[in-house]
Amino acid sequence: MSIMGKDIPHDSAVGHVSGESIYIDDMPPLRNELFVDFVGSPYAHGKLISIDLSVAREIPGVVGLFTHKDLAHNRLGPIIQDEPLLVEDEAMFVGEPVVVVAAETKSALAKAKKAIKIEMEELTPTLTVNEARERQLFLDREYAVKCGDVEAAFKEAKHTIEGTLVVGGADHFYLESQACLAIPGENDQIVVHSSTQAPSEIQHTAAHILGLQQNQVVCVTKRMGGGFGGKESQATHPGVMAALVAHKTKRPARMIYIKDDDMRYTGKRHPFQNDYKVAFDDNGIITALQVHFFADGGAYNDLSIAVLGRAITHVDNAYFVANAELKGRICRTNLPPNTAFRGFGGPQGVITMECIQEEIAAYLGIPSLDVRRRNVYGIEERNTTPYGQIVRNNNLPKLFDQIMKTSQFRDRLSKVEEFNSGSETHLKGISITAIKFGISFTNTMLNQANALVNVYLDGTVQVSTGATEMGQGVNTNIKMLVADELGIDPGDVIVMATSTEKNNNTSATAASAATDLNGSAAVNACRKIKSNLREVAARHIASTTPGIGAYPDGIKFDNGIVYDERRPDAKMTFKELVGLAYRSRASLGERGFYATKGIEFDWLAGKGSPFLYFTMGCAVSEVTIDKLTGDMKVDRIDILMDVGKSINPGINRGQIVGAFIQGMGWLTNEELKYTDKGHLLNYSPTTYKIPNIQDVPDAFHVDVIDNYNTPNVRGTKAVGEPPLLLAISVWTAVKHALSFVAGDELPCLSAPATNEEILGRITFYDNQDLLSKDGRGATSWRGEGANGAHYRSIGGLDIPTIKHGSLRPISESVAVGYDGASGNVNALGSRNGKKQRSSERPRQPAQ
Amino acid sequence: MRDYILLYINGRQHKVVGEKAFMPLTDYLRYELGLCGTKVVCAEGDCGACTVMLGRVEDGALAYKPLNGCIQYLFQLDCTHIVTIEGLKLNGQLNPVQEAMVHCHGAQCGYCTPGFVVAMCAMFDDGESKSACQIKDGLTGNLCRCTGYEAIVKAGLSVDLSAWQSIDKLYPDAEIVKNFKQQIGESIHLKADDKEVSVPSSVAEACRFRSDNPQTVIISGGTDVSVNMNKRGLVPDFVMSVSNLAGLSDIVSSTDSEGRTLLEVGARVTLAELEAYISELDEELKYILWVFGSPQIRHAGTLAGNIANASPIADTPPFLFAMDAEIEVTGINGTRRIKMTQFYTGYKKLALQADELITKVIVPLPKKDELVKLYKVSRRQHLDISAFTAAIRLKLDKGKIESAAVAYGGVAAVVMRLPKVEQFLVGKDLTLDTCRQAGQLARQEVAPISDVRGSRDYRLTLAENIFIKFYHETKEKELVCR
Repeated sequence: MSIMGKDIPHDSAVGHVSGESIYIDDMPPLRNELFVDFVGSPYAHGKLISIDLSVAREIPGVVGLFTHKDLAHNRLGPIIQDEPLLVEDEAMFVGEPVVVVAAETKSALAKAKKAIKIEMEELTPTLTVNEARERQLFLDREYAVKCGDVEAAFKEAKHTIEGTLVVGGADHFYLESQACLAIPGENDQIVVHSSTQAPSEIQHTAAHILGLQQNQVVCVTKRMGGGFGGKESQATHPGVMAALVAHKTKRPARMIYIKDDDMRYTGKRHPFQNDYKVAFDDNGIITALQVHFFADGGAYNDLSIAVLGRAITHVDNAYFVANAELKGRICRTNLPPNTAFRGFGGPQGVITMECIQEEIAAYLGIPSLDVRRRNVYGIEERNTTPYGQIVRNNNLPKLFDQIMKTSQFRDRLSKVEEFNSGSETHLKGISITAIKFGISFTNTMLNQANALVNVYLDGTVQVSTGATEMGQGVNTNIKMLVADELGIDPGDVIVMATSTEKNNNTSATAASAATDLNGSAAVNACRKIKSNLREVAARHIASTTPGIGAYPDGIKFDNGIVYDERRPDAKMTFKELVGLAYRSRASLGERGFYATKGIEFDWLAGKGSPFLYFTMGCAVSEVTIDKLTGDMKVDRIDILMDVGKSINPGINRGQIVGAFIQGMGWLTNEELKYTDKGHLLNYSPTTYKIPNIQDVPDAFHVDVIDNYNTPNVRGTKAVGEPPLLLAISVWTAVKHALSFVAGDELPCLSAPATNEEILGRITFYDNQDLLSKDGRGATSWRGEGANGAHYRSIGGLDIPTIKHGSLRPISESVAVGYDGASGNVNALGSRNGKKQRSSERPRQPAQ
Repeated sequence: MRDYILLYINGRQHKVVGEKAFMPLTDYLRYELGLCGTKVVCAEGDCGACTVMLGRVEDGALAYKPLNGCIQYLFQLDCTHIVTIEGLKLNGQLNPVQEAMVHCHGAQCGYCTPGFVVAMCAMFDDGESKSACQIKDGLTGNLCRCTGYEAIVKAGLSVDLSAWQSIDKLYPDAEIVKNFKQQIGESIHLKADDKEVSVPSSVAEACRFRSDNPQTVIISGGTDVSVNMNKRGLVPDFVMSVSNLAGLSDIVSSTDSEGRTLLEVGARVTLAELEAYISELDEELKYILWVFGSPQIRHAGTLAGNIANASPIADTPPFLFAMDAEIEVTGINGTRRIKMTQFYTGYKKLALQADELITKVIVPLPKKDELVKLYKVSRRQHLDISAFTAAIRLKLDKGKIESAAVAYGGVAAVVMRLPKVEQFLVGKDLTLDTCRQAGQLARQEVAPISDVRGSRDYRLTLAENIFIKFYHETKEKELVCR
């Protein structure tokens, strides 16, 4: 009987609820252990003049002070190694590490940090995408995907919408901040315990920076208190800093970021600014799409290239586009390097498409559901993505049709319209969005994994893979896969801490693919062991059962029993067989390897089939907005997904709901605000507001369709990231609500849709007539704040004008629709009997 | 005079002396005792990962409340029993809350989980089942980034209460209570290096200490002062914890000559106690307390503290301003009353003498013939600090406004009344047009700044719109959902 599909608890659940699970900061202190921290750049952009360590060095208890001069090499980065661990001459973001400090006590550490004098010349920082574009500051090259004949399609356009969408970043807000403990060993060996999604990256980078061989460094990850991408490349910095201290002082060194520092000095989800132009017919069917992405990469490359790549390959989302030109650049700004965050650029691409769908619907005056349904990828035709991959096993039409019924979409849409015509104080909106998320690393090389499975004499099993557990349940999934493959109880399987000692050259736990890759590798290892065991079992059964010969292929493993399928009563327990195998000197430990087949992508051509399959889903969200305060409440959420067969439905549901709510946070309350000097202002949960338990509506319906996903292990599909993008339905529901007050305008909205952003839009639309009558101009809202310098004092800290991610001029996310192909703004469309016009032309997509 | 802090942790007695008494509880638990189940994430009471149960003597027994351990310093915790996540198992087995969390997938990464479990155990300690709404209210102070909370609510709904064992059964308190009663009347004085803390047992003693040490930082619930110590480099030379002050923990209700209910709220009354007391008396104040911080904050913080903090965006002062509340302060030479509207003399400045303490807040409650509405606008509805607050109080006579009191927060350095708007309103009919004009006047009467919680324009628009909202909420209630 298969264990697949059983809802067993997370393998760490008991430890978690009793407080017994051990995280890095919970590991008992070791003899001679040192506390490690760093002192960083005071400026977002600065030229290093001098570092004075003389005072700090004299402080009792201070053991080590290290600068770039103490490193064998000083460059790191997961794709392009362009980032120094410690500033050499030019600091590129506030808090960029300059000096690593190690001390015997926390108070000595704090004193030393204060005593370090860093002299720097302040240079002009670049803090926004617009500034970077003006100054032509980009990282790496342009990336593009093209298909069809875009120029011709736009010439023949029936209708056109042009716009710019501004999408904000977000902090990961994993509960456990970056943490690591480095322990020196003999012969310059080091073991680094780290809360990381990428142990091999820490191993490789520490060896490189310290001038060691990779085989001298081991990185171990028991678990993370949350990762979400934030510990894919950026756990490396603390890991290497602690390793540096351990290596230089020969003492254990622990580095635990406090939450404030973690938020201030690590990268975020990439803010994007996307210029788009779309042509469509009277039915809302898209005939051409042009999107020019500008990602805010921060100071260094980090993972930005891959993030931009995923934005480009996901902007089509669930919808067929015959003629497309999709290209993007990474803007270089003086902020911490932006990094992986669940969805990895996909959300920033998909929101652009869903924004467009909502605007087409508003322009034509037809329900956005119909626009989407008409544009959705087909089964037999209209099923090729702009980069040339065919969308196989396409359940999108089915998902749309099913959720439309189960959510009573049309009925609720009319109720929303009715409500809005009657309420002076509130506005409602309802919207449906979809997701088609490509599974596999777009960098084909990374789609490999290895696993080590050891069987012990009592029949219990240890599994080690490169997957890291951050709460998502990958260990539980792998445990169940191994138990299923060996036909034993999952209680007899333990998934061990991830260690580069047991699994080499591991890919980061990322791209939703950890179970796919590592689970497949573990299954392959189990198959090798089973093959060894089958020989032993077959021989044994043949020798003890009269009348049959040895037939290894007929040996079955089920429910802790091993038997010959020809004679099911000729059986033994798994444990008995293991004992027999040991005495027969058969191997009870094997390594499995897995590499995803049939995927490839060429970024030079912008063509290929980078994904093994797509995870799909739809969501319907309904919101109510207080027109007078901008406060928004999500009333109901419906989610329907195709996640293939579930290994563990409870764990999958946790991923779906958790990802959705995390996405909702990004698109509603989470807004990063910086000073005009590039200091993050909201660096703690007091001012950075992730969703609270009260933000989750009671009406929350989650369902999955039945589907067996042939190409992947046990017919499953990856589920870690895709549902995050379904939260875009909350944002488009706000857009839908705004369409009731936008009058002749398209309902524009930046992300996140904070209450301030929403109230700004409503106030702007409300005053349209008034403004044009008295000639005050259309963009007075928020002008005052943006132009005037306002200072306030909080706890003695002067907080100057907010620069970035706030006080957005209303013109920042704009769109204009017009009939025909040319930008003739006098051409009129109609919506609900009203005329469609534009008061303001958006920026042309940059050439 | 004692020179140690007496507390119990999971049933074991601790006498804390010297330097250690100046530690946050979570540091003491994690790094001194090795009780690492209690996590620290934000160190400012905004995430709940550090939630512990804290029992103080109430009516002869220990009453347990969930609190944020990260912003409770040991010198605040004399005569308390702390129960941590490590102390919640039943005979080595998971308790029913823990079981439910395991089976409902209430934990993913696990870092927030001990905090949730403790908060949930505190919620269920009465042995009563809870609705989804009650569960959410009880867990407002706990952030989770993994689960989206659905599974946690589900766990709360499926706790098997037949197997529940309350904390007082788990930790029989007769011995502890006896010990506390013997010691709580004794004042405490602690010194370490250049720091000094006093835990007086009488108001007179407290006034003397404050007078002798003018830089004394007074700490009550610590929901603000401890954050300043954890995060903003506040290192006070003299601290006075008022946790053991006798006679300040009562709410007394009376009726004045006009038939108005007056509440006299002792300075040590927590916001949670006030919330419970007020729940049948005033819907608006109840609402404001519901969106005030979190259970953990409301069980620690006091009304007096919310006033003394003097923040322009504190949640209760607009109500107190509009209701003409008074503050009773006590000094060496006795007691006097200060009008709430005159209590702030500038940004974070109080009309207190060097020896004085707030001992009581006198809160007149709205009468039936008054329209009173309170507003709080914040980025997130719960567990957030306001961007804008307002209290509007009107008395109508046949549709005409007879008197008006309007107080705004978040629009100036201090909470303020809006006299021009009030003057304008008196004598007018309560119509939408009146409210529109009042809003426009209000916009002109305030001078907000742009900060991390909202821009100037946003606040100006709110200052204007809130009157229109008031109109609809009081006149066309059917169209409004809160």
